[in-house]
Amino acid sequence: MNAARVTVSGPARGGVALDLRGVRKVFQNHTVIEHFDLEVRAGEFLAILGPSGCGKSTLLRIIARLLAPDDGAVAVDPDADRFQTSFVFQDAHLLPWRTVLDNAALPLELMGVAREERYAKARAALDEIGLAEAEDRYPAQLSGGMRMRVSLARALVAEPRLLLLDEPFAALDEITRFRLDLRLRELWKERGLTVVFVTHSISEAAFLANRAVVLARRAGRIKLDRLLELPERNEDLRLDPRYGAEMKILLGAMEEE
Amino acid sequence: MSRLKSAIPALIPFLVLTASLEIAVRVGWVRSYLIPAPSAVFRAMIESRDELAAAIATTSASALLGFLMSTVTGIAIAVFLSSSRAIQRAFYPYAVFFQTVPIIAIAPLLVIWFGYGMRTVVASAFVVSIFPVIANTLTGILSTEPALRDLFRLYGASTWTTLVKLRFPAALPQILTGLRVASGLAVIGAIVGEFIGGQGLGSVVDVARTQQRVDKVFAAVLLASVLGLALFGMINLVSYWTLRRWHASEQ
Amino acid sequence: MRKMYRRQFLPVLPAAFLAACSKSPRKIRLALNWKPEPEFGGFYAAPFSNNGLDVEILPGGAGTPTVQMVGAGSAEFGLVEADELIVARSRGNDVVGLFAVFQDNPLALMVHASRKFTSIGDIFKKGATLAIQKGLPYVQLLEKQYSFANVKVVPSPGGDLSAFLRDPMFVQQVFVTSEFLTAKRQGADAQVFPISLTGFNPYSGVVATSGDYLRKNPDIAKAMVAAMRTGWRTYLDDPKPTNLRMNQLNPSMSLDGFAETAEAQKPLIESGETRRNGLGTMSRERWQTLIAQLKDLGDIQQAPALDDCFKIL
Repeated sequence: MNAARVTVSGPARGGVALDLRGVRKVFQNHTVIEHFDLEVRAGEFLAILGPSGCGKSTLLRIIARLLAPDDGAVAVDPDADRFQTSFVFQDAHLLPWRTVLDNAALPLELMGVAREERYAKARAALDEIGLAEAEDRYPAQLSGGMRMRVSLARALVAEPRLLLLDEPFAALDEITRFRLDLRLRELWKERGLTVVFVTHSISEAAFLANRAVVLARRAGRIKLDRLLELPERNEDLRLDPRYGAEMKILLGAMEEE
Repeated sequence: MSRLKSAIPALIPFLVLTASLEIAVRVGWVRSYLIPAPSAVFRAMIESRDELAAAIATTSASALLGFLMSTVTGIAIAVFLSSSRAIQRAFYPYAVFFQTVPIIAIAPLLVIWFGYGMRTVVASAFVVSIFPVIANTLTGILSTEPALRDLFRLYGASTWTTLVKLRFPAALPQILTGLRVASGLAVIGAIVGEFIGGQGLGSVVDVARTQQRVDKVFAAVLLASVLGLALFGMINLVSYWTLRRWHASEQ
Repeated sequence: MRKMYRRQFLPVLPAAFLAACSKSPRKIRLALNWKPEPEFGGFYAAPFSNNGLDVEILPGGAGTPTVQMVGAGSAEFGLVEADELIVARSRGNDVVGLFAVFQDNPLALMVHASRKFTSIGDIFKKGATLAIQKGLPYVQLLEKQYSFANVKVVPSPGGDLSAFLRDPMFVQQVFVTSEFLTAKRQGADAQVFPISLTGFNPYSGVVATSGDYLRKNPDIAKAMVAAMRTGWRTYLDDPKPTNLRMNQLNPSMSLDGFAETAEAQKPLIESGETRRNGLGTMSRERWQTLIAQLKDLGDIQQAPALDDCFKIL
């Protein structure tokens, strides 16, 4: 554990590459993930789709190294400094007794960054996500959408090279969800990091990702692994016929058993 | 003003009960040597006000000290127990001992160890009030959301950092609940300690009972309740000040 | 309630509750203020059923509120102290004494003989840790007679002798018939000064009933007293069989302890007066003195009528 002062400088460029081989996870005699192989290129925006209980959240936690696989390995390249992974949960999970600013600055605080610096970076992150004026408020005073933005800012404040999101916008209303999807995509483009985005929603996966992986109902088996043939994302993408076509393909993969 | 108004619903049952009891005793339905008329209790309070004032000061000091000790020690023990499953299994049952031991049985032992006087009374208050602090603090610490714990792990936070910056603040509402329970128990513990160790309201009750002065007994008991309420009120105040910005219970 | 010469914590409310709940049973309840011990021997030996009385003896313990129980009707008869009875009357509790087991009060102050006290006054002069029940009238009397500057007053530990045995400075309120004997058995160099030496000598072990019950059942009361006299005679002459019965009800005291206590209590129970007027007898003089003393000490505001306090049946 690095107790020395850590400063993070410059936006992450290039993200990390992931290589999962033979990953297996068993919970209480139930095999959640059987034998999982996946390669993710640096800077890729990968969406993982699948029905409930298919193991996608477990997979994400294994990638984040919050969970150790029972078999197989997860290689990260470059595997330099520990604090290059960020995680966004379905619930914003802010610390209710801290202000928005303190919440956004939390990762840097835990990494040992000095106050001035981490507050500056937190403010910048909040600004990017559109919450600059809310920095002194408490989570209880924010709407669900605003809380999720803070969670995003917190995820980005430490300049991660790998950003993992587990159905982060599922609890939000459609408009807020759309706005955040757009923003996330923009941030990804600006920073070039690797994003793995788990979702239920085919339309969201199609909108956000370059590549989509569809998991089967059980044991994390991959049913489809596809590079999406779509133009640059903007508000009008949904009107583009190619969008509908991709969604159809993804839906087909999800539906077949 | 609105605070006074919000106290009215609580006062009504009290006033009704007091009035009914007064009537019942005067008419003779209730024998005054068993349950005194409220007016007699009031008179006893005025009559013995110096004695009662000194007694409540003594009992308050003992109860407060015992309560503060059980707060600090109880939280520390809970933090220790939270460190591992194995430690919990090994030591938690002994903490439960504090809950189940009848204070009346061990109070004479306390006198042997601490002598007559305030130390025994404080010890008694401590023993009786510590368990709710331990139990509630432990539950609070162990109930931290797994996702938040994951978040801290992700950024390399040590167990201690996680305890101080996450688990403890998250546990605060639960801890305060434990303190609320413990505060009343500390008063009870102090009074029982005073039966054995002498002094304070406990001693007033003891002597008044020997002299069949039920009015004085009730007066002292009432004051003890007031003391308990005061402590409870203090905890509520602390709760308000620490939780008001973020916890549903104070909103 | 008085037998809190040992620790007691029972509040008064249960007595009221009991009174509210009781119907009039055919059993006659005699409530003791302690566990079955030689001080009640005569009651266990009493031929109640022979006299047509269906009596149930209710053993007591620390804090049994006998004077309230009798007043409230949850026991027809109960054991109380004479001073307790007078104070109760002054509080509006109509209880009447019928039979006094102890002609001389067994209360005493137990000291370590090594202190070489020659009188109660010495205790206050030379200093001690005085473990007494502050609310008792004799304490108030002592406060009038002596300066408490050199003594540290602590609550009486009841039957617990551990503090006394450990500390030579300790002076403990005891019964000469009970804790004193126990202390000696445990090897302590104990010495006693009976409280009666101060001039305060209320009857102890007084069987009381409510004025109401007495008025409604004078024959029963009379028969009870007669049976008790017989019982006490029996017990004084031969305590062994009754001790056996009581020991089964109260195994906390050994049979030897029972025998020793039964012997030690005799001089307090039998006197010239009892030989003249019968066991359990009471005199107007004694009650009058007691009333005057209690009034003087401020324990009662008004003296209850002498003739209402006790009845010789």
